Amino acid sequence: MIGKINWAKSIVYLLLFVGALLSLFPFYWMFVMATNSKEAINQVPPAALPGDQLAVNFAHVLEQIRFFPALANSFIVSILVTIGVLFLCSLAGYAFAKIKFPGRTVLFGAILVTMMIPTQLGLVPSYFIITKLGWLNDLKALVVPGLVNAFGIFWMRQYIAEAVPEEIIEAAKIDGCSHFRIYWNIVVPAILPAFATLGIVTFMQTWNDFLWPVTVLRDPSFQTIQVAIRSLNDVYVRDYGMILSGTFWATVPLIVVFVVFNKFFISGLTQGAVK
Amino acid sequence: MSVIERNTQTMPVRTKPGRWMTEARKDMVFGYLSISPFFILFAIFGLFPMLFSFYLAFQKFSGIGEMRYVGWQNFRFIIEDPLFWKSIYNTLIMGLLGTAPQILVGMVLAYALNSALIRFKSFFRVAFFMPYVTSILAVAIVFSVIFSNQPSGLMNTLLGVFGVGPISWNTSEWGVKVAISTMVFWRWLGYNTIIFLAGLQSIPNDLYEAARIDGASTRQQIWYITLPLLKPVILFTTFLSTIGAWQLFVEPLVFFGRLGDVGEEGMTVVLYLYREAFRNNAFGTASATAVLLFFIIIVFTVLNYVLTNRTGRAGQLGKAARAAKKRGEAV
Amino acid sequence: MITKKWAATGMSLVMAASLTACSTAPTSNSGTGSGQTATTEGGKEVIELKMGQFGSTGYEKLAEEYMKDHPNVKIQISTSDFNDHHNNLFTAISAGSGAPDIAMVEVGFIEKYRGAQDRFVNLYEMGAKDLQSNYLDWKWSVGESADHSFLFGLPTDIGPTVMYYRTDIFEAAGLPSDPEKVAEQIKTWDDFANAARTIKEKTGKPMTDNVELIYNALRDQAPEMYFDRANNLIVEKNPAMKKAYDYTAKLIQDGVLGNLALWTPEWGAAMADGGYATLLGASWMQGNIKGNAPDAKGKWAITQMPEGAGNWGGSYLVITKESKHPKEAYEFIKWITSPDNQYKSFLDQGLFPSATAVYDESKFKDYTDEYFGGQHTAQIMSEAAKKVKNVYYGENFSIVQGEILKALQNVQSKKSDPEQEWSEAIARVKQQLERK
Repeated sequence: MIGKINWAKSIVYLLLFVGALLSLFPFYWMFVMATNSKEAINQVPPAALPGDQLAVNFAHVLEQIRFFPALANSFIVSILVTIGVLFLCSLAGYAFAKIKFPGRTVLFGAILVTMMIPTQLGLVPSYFIITKLGWLNDLKALVVPGLVNAFGIFWMRQYIAEAVPEEIIEAAKIDGCSHFRIYWNIVVPAILPAFATLGIVTFMQTWNDFLWPVTVLRDPSFQTIQVAIRSLNDVYVRDYGMILSGTFWATVPLIVVFVVFNKFFISGLTQGAVK
Repeated sequence: MSVIERNTQTMPVRTKPGRWMTEARKDMVFGYLSISPFFILFAIFGLFPMLFSFYLAFQKFSGIGEMRYVGWQNFRFIIEDPLFWKSIYNTLIMGLLGTAPQILVGMVLAYALNSALIRFKSFFRVAFFMPYVTSILAVAIVFSVIFSNQPSGLMNTLLGVFGVGPISWNTSEWGVKVAISTMVFWRWLGYNTIIFLAGLQSIPNDLYEAARIDGASTRQQIWYITLPLLKPVILFTTFLSTIGAWQLFVEPLVFFGRLGDVGEEGMTVVLYLYREAFRNNAFGTASATAVLLFFIIIVFTVLNYVLTNRTGRAGQLGKAARAAKKRGEAV
Repeated sequence: MITKKWAATGMSLVMAASLTACSTAPTSNSGTGSGQTATTEGGKEVIELKMGQFGSTGYEKLAEEYMKDHPNVKIQISTSDFNDHHNNLFTAISAGSGAPDIAMVEVGFIEKYRGAQDRFVNLYEMGAKDLQSNYLDWKWSVGESADHSFLFGLPTDIGPTVMYYRTDIFEAAGLPSDPEKVAEQIKTWDDFANAARTIKEKTGKPMTDNVELIYNALRDQAPEMYFDRANNLIVEKNPAMKKAYDYTAKLIQDGVLGNLALWTPEWGAAMADGGYATLLGASWMQGNIKGNAPDAKGKWAITQMPEGAGNWGGSYLVITKESKHPKEAYEFIKWITSPDNQYKSFLDQGLFPSATAVYDESKFKDYTDEYFGGQHTAQIMSEAAKKVKNVYYGENFSIVQGEILKALQNVQSKKSDPEQEWSEAIARVKQQLERK
């Protein structure tokens, strides 16, 4: 019996490891390319091991773009958007999940419907609005429209509906707690794992977004890292070693953020276990 | 949490709302205030572009220069275009191939990563989320090497071992679909896993404990506790995946490299409209495509909702799940 | 309790608002799109010009030089990715604001902006007619409107096409490998086809990397392409296009063309290990070959293509209508595209000049490249540049080009009937043109 269980368990581990390898592989390759010369990258079979060009490639990147200021811009934007999304989406999610007000279902439906609109065409009219607001080349153009989104509200509503029992809210109301107090003292602590998830996803999405930033941030001093990295592409001849070096170093902060959030995530998990 | 719960049971009711601001009014004010930021921002940055698209669908417009009202002509152009129908078919197939396994595998993966039996959870979680973080440029390069048309390509070599001839991955009907679906699956699996994981964590542990005490097997626990309580998250993920599948765009574009190289085998609806707009400068037909897609997605979402709901109801619901359901309906 | 709740909600709103305010603080003085603000410095008016470009041009250095001589002009150049740059310009033009004073526009995109002539400054009105004789005729002409009355931009670089070939493969096939003898042996496209068959037979290698560049090579040598100057679709009536198509389709069916898509890693790798015999590419392809195949030094050589040459790439500098200082902008672009500065850009960045005077400069003529067996590469390219036909592309060029290429790719990958593919492609073109 014990032998059988171990056997099943090792299969699970094997699958997990294979899956993890497949998931990590392109990232690993990104590192390989970032440390190799462009010749080594274009060989067949391509270089499979990290090379010795790490510093050289990154030095090229630093010559070409304002890497660190762009990184700072990305941090500012991603952090502000993440805070905005966590706060505003959970607040709205709480309202949709636990508070009765007229038109709630219809409004929630409306939020869902907004997610079904293909956004690719909205570029020109959105740009038009940004220029009218005078936000071209301004980080505001990235932060303000991103402060709250339908996905976050939907996710928070689903989560809060399950994770926060009705009885607790009723009880708190009877105790005289205001809605905001309930939200702040009861709902927020109960949904920390959801915060971690939404925070990770939002931060990553904001950090990696380029279509919109590229459109509204043209001045090199206000560019985010994704926009700056795109200008590493030369027209006809491409130095992939350099481009992927820039890409790689722009991804490293993301991983740090993820690992930090992940800890938060796990603490949320153990909290649940204690309860 | 349990502290508060106990408090409410023992302490007498302290206040009664006897002011002009009734409970219902308070609820209303707070509710509207809470959701207003979204609607305000949406009105500015979402509604205008959307209405503009609806307006453009009835115009002939090259993006620059004059607009001309053409009635339903743009819609007629699209509906008569076999490539549009092909793009719908492609999107359906690739969406199904790319996202349906994702939800299943994601759920299993999340369950494994949530169980106390597995070690290195932290590592696995980071690993499976990595594709979501990896730059799309690196992904494009890696996938073009893996799914190379040449017999020496990685996938073709692998297939060769099993005696399958080299496949032209970017021109053959199924080669394209398999390659792109693989990319979709690979990129979004970790994302869905993490969503499921968060959902699993919202299930109170004492439910499992109680079930264990009652002598429920692991399978029974999954069937009567995990699945029913995970239903909102499953619905959520299915909903998002349906929308995401219909809006499939980045992966095929990256797979083909250049917009001009996108063959009809990999043409998706959004690529179709994107090509109309940004290669052909036909913003009218592009907008008409967007409008049609919008309605397609609505129909599919409703269909999806009805189906998932029905299967949920058909399944036997455990005690805990029924209670949870009641709670959900009471809201 | 009510007040408390209100206070809390209010606080949260204020908090959210102040957060956004914080984010904007460091960037609030960014101003609007193009630098049309004239600031005064020491009583003298300083004119700010914004310029958008793509790729590495080395124009920043030239601009520094210009600003030294013109202290009243401040030029700010921002570099973007090729596609981003052109898409942004399109968006700005479409929305009517946010375009820079000066923009670099690649030859393919000049066509896309043709419909928005009113958003650009007609450089003929700035006196550009006097400059025309400095540049290659065909290059100048592409920068004009169809009726030659409007000039969008001043020419910068060009990309004349030549035949790059692998000497080792030619030798292995028993063909001459010396550039002059190769040119003699492959004078016509029929010769090229014969050589292709010989090479395939003797070495098993394809003649070209793919179907695209060979078709383009023939296309470029025709006096007219897909549209006439009144923008009528003439591709069906133009025998030269069908000829280019049939020729390519025939070689595909003979199995002598490769199927390595441009810019893929395997395409680059094949440059290094001799996966195909010839590459019908532009002057800037030298950089790709050297980058992808650093160890193949001496194995690649350059000669003229059979029956003429074509152009692939190269740009113009345009002035947008939004600019408040078109005069100063014009003076600058006139200076930076002058023969002297094109010469500098060539030496500095390898931008191939469109100003013919440069071709007579001694350093240009004597320019040799050890990689290509010590050939006078610049001079070879300049000979090709002079052979390029003066043709009109038309704003819908890319639609037709895309569909024809797709047809050829189908012939190759699906072994379908070329005639049927051609008529289907033409039908698709017509259908798409209807929508604009």
